[in-house]
Amino acid sequence: MRARNLLSLEETSRAELREVLDLAREHAAGPLDRPLAGKTVCLAFFEASTRTAVSFELAARRAGADVISLSEKGSSLEKGEGLIDTVVTLDSLGADAIVLRHPAAGAARIAALHTGAAVVNAGDGRGQHPTQALLDLHALSDRFGGFDELIGRRVAVVGDVLHSRVARSVIPAFRAAGMELAIVAPRTLLPLEADAWGLPVLPSVDDAIDWGADVLYALRLQKERMTGGSPRVPSVPEYARYYGVAKRHLAAGALVMHPGPVNRGVEVAGDVVLDASSLIPDQVGSGVAVRSAVLALTMGAVPSRVAA
Amino acid sequence: MTHGAPTNIPTHGPDDLVVRGAHVLDPASGLDGVMDVRVSGGRVAEVGEGLRGTRSLDADGLHLFPGFTDVHAHWRTPGREDEETVETGSAAAAAGGFTGVVMMPNTDPVIDRPVVVSGLVRRVEGESRVRAYVSAALHEGLKGERLTEMRLMREAGAFCVSDDGLGTQSAGVLRNAMLYAKDAGMPVILHCEDHTLATGVVHEGVAAALAGLPGSPGSAEDVATATALVLAAETGARVHVTHVSTALSAALVGFFKGNVPGADVTADTTPHHLTLTDELVRTLEGMYRVNPPLRPEGDRLGVGGALRDGILDFVATDHAPHASEEKDLPLEEAAPGFLGHETAFSALYTELVLGGHLSLERLVGAMASAPGAWVGDGAGRIAEGAPADLALVDLSEEWTVRGEGLLSRSGNSPYIGRSLKGRIVGTMVGGELVQDRTGARFGSRA
Ligand SMILES: [Zn+2]
Ligand SMILES: [Zn+2]
Repeated sequence: MRARNLLSLEETSRAELREVLDLAREHAAGPLDRPLAGKTVCLAFFEASTRTAVSFELAARRAGADVISLSEKGSSLEKGEGLIDTVVTLDSLGADAIVLRHPAAGAARIAALHTGAAVVNAGDGRGQHPTQALLDLHALSDRFGGFDELIGRRVAVVGDVLHSRVARSVIPAFRAAGMELAIVAPRTLLPLEADAWGLPVLPSVDDAIDWGADVLYALRLQKERMTGGSPRVPSVPEYARYYGVAKRHLAAGALVMHPGPVNRGVEVAGDVVLDASSLIPDQVGSGVAVRSAVLALTMGAVPSRVAA
Repeated sequence: MTHGAPTNIPTHGPDDLVVRGAHVLDPASGLDGVMDVRVSGGRVAEVGEGLRGTRSLDADGLHLFPGFTDVHAHWRTPGREDEETVETGSAAAAAGGFTGVVMMPNTDPVIDRPVVVSGLVRRVEGESRVRAYVSAALHEGLKGERLTEMRLMREAGAFCVSDDGLGTQSAGVLRNAMLYAKDAGMPVILHCEDHTLATGVVHEGVAAALAGLPGSPGSAEDVATATALVLAAETGARVHVTHVSTALSAALVGFFKGNVPGADVTADTTPHHLTLTDELVRTLEGMYRVNPPLRPEGDRLGVGGALRDGILDFVATDHAPHASEEKDLPLEEAAPGFLGHETAFSALYTELVLGGHLSLERLVGAMASAPGAWVGDGAGRIAEGAPADLALVDLSEEWTVRGEGLLSRSGNSPYIGRSLKGRIVGTMVGGELVQDRTGARFGSRA
């Protein structure tokens, strides 16, 4: 039987999201009976990402899988082995699932063409980062009291949409969950066709609050957007003034999210990161359960609860 | 609140002054004939015949135009107050009939931080006789590298952004700057010059060849103009190309205006590029160094035709005062730039209108209506409710330009010694006469 893949959330549906989140809730509730026992999960990270790699590894081990980890440093990946050769090798070694992080958009899609193993996209270039959006939805559902409670909530996605794979998963997934979205970003951090998603584009976080945002989803700003050959942002003070989430934005009850790692004082003010309105710790905390659920579903391993 | 609108002019002027019997010419309002204009509370209250007011100004035989707007001036403040101050620059502007001026940011320090913008805005409020708009820098230090804090500077009172004095060398950098300026809601004024081509001190033409001066080819301007126009069209930013000096650059502007719907583009040229040519560099005098350089007759005619046809929207002087020690030098060692405010109207009236190349109506449109509309705030027209910013002109007065007669702190006018026809008699800003050569024509009759 050919495995399912998790490559993109561009075309995801409410039902699909609910399936993952329901299972994730079970994983989060307590130990399951090693649903992935006997399975081999291979982490192939062509781009450094300790946080995501650790989260996936923990998710696989908690569900009972064997884990092979190829990271960029000190492996064949560093020696420039190609994507397809790596995938074919892992396939021959008997991997049941390949968790792939790669600097180029579409890498996971190509990998899936060359293996019978399940492919889970752990971030490909500026393309997609589906498990991030899923764990975001998990954290949000918890806070709002259920997946159905997300319907009609307003989310402002703030910052560097242009370079963000997180945004490209979050936007369609949050929409499929029934949420209303807007973008807050300077034109220099948006595609030229900023209307690509058909969303309103607002000029500041203050405007997002006026728009009625329930959630402010801040994206990470790479420092090199201010320097380099063609700078896109003038300075930290100006960015923080218009695109930074500050304490004043929380007064109306808005929640704050960020995929991490946060540049404190840039995307999110230092005193907001750990505020009660911040879902940032919940997002990190949702990672393992959601990724366990994703691995189980992609490998077709239906779990059963350990008898109490 | 309208960001960037000058606040130095009180909204309440003396009540009820009637400017009586002038020939009012305002293309924007379609006025062309002898009539009265009543001014009240700093604004135009009434236009018509036989108007009554508590005071009157007899303007028989004079012309009354909307005040001129100069979107390109260097008042050298802060940093080179020995060359010009807000006080002297604005006095020179008023003497030339200008009621609104955009100040370029290539000062010392460069106007590239919010705190510097606020400081200059305060100075303008205290010292300027005319409405002075602050242009902030597009890039830090005008260097074409890091973007400036445009949104914070706009909140501090900046009106537009420009790296004038320098062209932007990287199209990628310029494109992001345009996108960012669009977000900040500010127009971008572009000095189009490719510094890999502009390596000389004068136009690379016959005069340079014969005089033995290093030349910069017309392409130095044209290549940069083309880049700017392409990027303006793609980004949709509001872009103003300043001091267009070649026939080809003017034609490029015309092409984009006519064929590229997304381009929000305007352009100006200068009085000197409309009236002088590079023949003057044969003198080898430092006075005649200017950037962009004086061009051959073909370019002068091409630019003039484009202004006549509205392809170039308006005139801006690039008023650039320099101390005599920077100008009394061999041309190659002199600083580039001319004074502009005080001679602009007279030079253009004499050379172009009396020469039969431009109608008086189009000249007023190019000095008042179009640049006034560009800065907004109702500037550039004589109409009920519009600011009482007016220029009273004697078209028959003949005068000779003399350095010691100029109100600018510097003396580097290329027209010194020339006899010009048509002169500003009075300039009114917000209902106040800020320049007054009317010879106490005030009457007391109501
Ligand atoms: Zn210039
Ligand atoms: Zn200039």
